[in-house]
Amino acid sequence: MTAPATTLRLPTDLGTGPHAVAARGVVKHFGPIAALDGPDLQVPEGSVYVLVGPNGAGKSTLLRLLMGLLSRDEGTLDVLGADPHEEGSAIRAAVGYVPEGQDLGYPWMTVGRLLEHHRAYFGTWDAAYARRLVHEFDVDLARSCRALSKGERRRVQLILALAHRPPLLLLDEPTDGLDHVVRDTALALLSEHLSDRPTTVLMSTHRVYEVERLVDTVGVLSEGRLLGQFTRAAMNERLLRYWTDVPTEWDESQPVDAEVIRRTRGRREVEWVAWGPREEVSAALERTGAEVRDVTPVSIDDAATALLSRREVS
Amino acid sequence: MRIRLQPSDSRPLYVQIMDEVRSALVRGTVGPDDPLPSVRELASGLRVNPRTVSQAYAELERDGVVRVQPGRGTFVAPGLRPDHEARPHLAREVARRALADASRNGLVLDELMAALQELADDPEVTS
Repeated sequence: MTAPATTLRLPTDLGTGPHAVAARGVVKHFGPIAALDGPDLQVPEGSVYVLVGPNGAGKSTLLRLLMGLLSRDEGTLDVLGADPHEEGSAIRAAVGYVPEGQDLGYPWMTVGRLLEHHRAYFGTWDAAYARRLVHEFDVDLARSCRALSKGERRRVQLILALAHRPPLLLLDEPTDGLDHVVRDTALALLSEHLSDRPTTVLMSTHRVYEVERLVDTVGVLSEGRLLGQFTRAAMNERLLRYWTDVPTEWDESQPVDAEVIRRTRGRREVEWVAWGPREEVSAALERTGAEVRDVTPVSIDDAATALLSRREVS
Repeated sequence: MRIRLQPSDSRPLYVQIMDEVRSALVRGTVGPDDPLPSVRELASGLRVNPRTVSQAYAELERDGVVRVQPGRGTFVAPGLRPDHEARPHLAREVARRALADASRNGLVLDELMAALQELADDPEVTS
């Protein structure tokens, strides 16, 4: 596998909105390390946006900044029209948040008591829906929080995030720790939530394939910077895999006039993942002497892997 | 009506849903005026974004296959004759995939046709 040496230009602008979440030039340092180095992130209202990136890319830091749990060093943030630094508590009351890790905050409480505690805090708490979530996630209200397994805590966190019917969900690795059956339940409930209320979702995950069918927008974060963000519709049209045949003496060092994300060379075949209008990319590949045999779509998971591995080798 | 999505299928999800509806029409599982599952129900069952199902239904309505009645649901178009719309459409889609697969494997149309004929003549395959 090789990566072309030129700088990749992928779209990073999702238009003028309305956006449920917008970050502009946000910088956050922990000591000398820049966890976030100026990404411009836009989450269109009503979208299901997945933020992908390796560990340490800055995903959790960004979500915590949006919740007003950390303050930024530079840049601007807008969450449902408010600045989390100024109006953190209002934002926390309006957003369903599943944090990184499985800390429920009140280890001495029973799950039932914890739910009552949240009910008092969230004016929009839907008690009937909360009961249904408890049933669907098969959670025992009488158990003490401290006795719960990692997966059980995640289920409780999902109930707490959904039960107040928030217009915005910020989910940090929402399927982390869930077994197959519970994950499947969570995805079905998330889908229903999207049908029942106008909801925007911003989630981070390592396992894009688990949530791929729900997602319509993707952002790829690496080392605190956004490599690109685009809608699935744009991806279906412009982010494609090209299967080509090449002559044995084909020169792989020649320049290619296309945004090539990844190139995998066989002896007589080259597989490309590239961004751009299909006809233009095909023509650019043909000009190098490659013959395009087939063009296929790329999953969000594949796209993220290609983008991130490119970053690592360049 | 059962709608299934194939994880290995690389076509966009809304296209897969559209073809599943057409397939149900061809098989006679649903007919003219029959209700289709609600967007909420189908999206949740398939664990997909409700917008994907809405998009599939909207495109099917544009093709004259279904009628979306706001507040009531989505119904197969009255007077729809599957033999006129769904059957030829599905046949073309299956053929398109077979052709793409053949081309990907370096085969030409004649070879694909010959193999199809040979298989169709084999009683063990068609039974």
